[in-house]
Amino acid sequence: MNQNSFNPHARWDRFEPDKTGFNPDRLEERIDVLVFFKHAKIYPKSFTWNNKEYPVEKITYNWQERFGQALINYFSVLSAGQMYQISFNNSTFRWQIDKLIQ
Amino acid sequence: MILHVDMDAFFASIEQTINPRLKGKPLIVGSRGNKMHTVVCAASYEAKALGIHSGIPSREAFARCPNLEFVSADQSKYIWTSEQIFQLLKGFNLPLNYASIDEFQMDLASCPNPVSLGKEVKEQIYANFNITASVGIARSWLLAKLASKLNKPSGLTEINDSNFEQVLRQTPLDKLCGMGGKNGQIFMAQGLQTCWDLYLNLPQFFEASPFFSNENPGKSNEKPKSVSHSYTLPKNEINPQVIRAWIRLLSEMVAVRLRQQNLVSATVHLWLNGPEIGNFGAQKTQQAQTSDGFEIYQRALKIMAKSGLKNPRIRLIGVTCSNLSWATYQPLLSEEIRREGLIKALDRINNRFGERAIYPAVTFLTH
Repeated sequence: MNQNSFNPHARWDRFEPDKTGFNPDRLEERIDVLVFFKHAKIYPKSFTWNNKEYPVEKITYNWQERFGQALINYFSVLSAGQMYQISFNNSTFRWQIDKLIQ
Repeated sequence: MILHVDMDAFFASIEQTINPRLKGKPLIVGSRGNKMHTVVCAASYEAKALGIHSGIPSREAFARCPNLEFVSADQSKYIWTSEQIFQLLKGFNLPLNYASIDEFQMDLASCPNPVSLGKEVKEQIYANFNITASVGIARSWLLAKLASKLNKPSGLTEINDSNFEQVLRQTPLDKLCGMGGKNGQIFMAQGLQTCWDLYLNLPQFFEASPFFSNENPGKSNEKPKSVSHSYTLPKNEINPQVIRAWIRLLSEMVAVRLRQQNLVSATVHLWLNGPEIGNFGAQKTQQAQTSDGFEIYQRALKIMAKSGLKNPRIRLIGVTCSNLSWATYQPLLSEEIRREGLIKALDRINNRFGERAIYPAVTFLTH
């Protein structure tokens, strides 16, 4: 196998996020999540954000990213017509809502 | 035979899968959050139909299509998907080359039915990721890559002895990999308009393999001519600390890639762009070769200091290392040995725990 010719981890997407006020692209708020584990995969079923429960109707995509020792599992989910990005940190066992997908 | 897999509008397709509202709409993925001050990294096929393609300024894209959908790039999902596709293709147990984030090459020497394998590759990618790929099959990597581009999206094209001449006659020269820029212009100025014209004059070009050796598939034998990284800042930057931080970060990124390929460089090239200075570029060659990010950074700073630039506003920064050789030098001085040990330790930490596990503190100013 030859992976020397291309390094997929050479990042180029650094940018300065807007940190003022409500930013739907950067919520990063803790949520409670009801999940279903099957064949070593995680399927969020519903999540509670600001005391409101959001049933997950569809998981459209999921992916992972490593931050130091932590592995973050990301999910893009559909609930009541709105798309959300939520994530699970396997190091801190914390679920959070990352952003509203517009 | 080589099978070339080229993902269709890779980043845009992933974003359309994540957010079904974007399916069927003209969409661009930009490299930064501010949608009017970035460049197009990827365009959906609906956007491509409007003449929008990667590399153009987003402002120009919006001028062509005011209703364009915009998503700022999130590289983690593209990297993960790319690596998962690579793992999926490894399952076919054929020599495999990771050509770029959205391109993969397989050597089909031991495969009896390349076309059915190509179909299976496409089907498995779609079943797992809900995105499409185009597959090209031909006797060399260059022709396979060309074949993959002929029937996009979701195409499967084989260039074989029966259609070789026809395909090359119908394909303009600038569609061929490596012929899009100055090379293509030089050949076209000499009257070569199609790939067939090139084949008649330079048949060995279609058999040569700079990235994926036909004789030794799966191994890259030739070293690159240069390694570089550049970045366009969100706005004109005048703070020298931030500019230096970016030069350091780009130097480290270049150095990591040099070390991954066991290369050292003698020439460091710094290039800048800004409203007062326009395009500035200068290089310095030293006898001592290096793959140390800090050393490359120091040399880049010396180039900047000698240039006489007086605190200009900077928009684009690039660092290139060229004059490359294979790393064979063994450090003798105790300070060199200590430095090499430190770099190896940092590389091991980043390889094990992820790219940003440990990094020079000064580069934090780039966030």
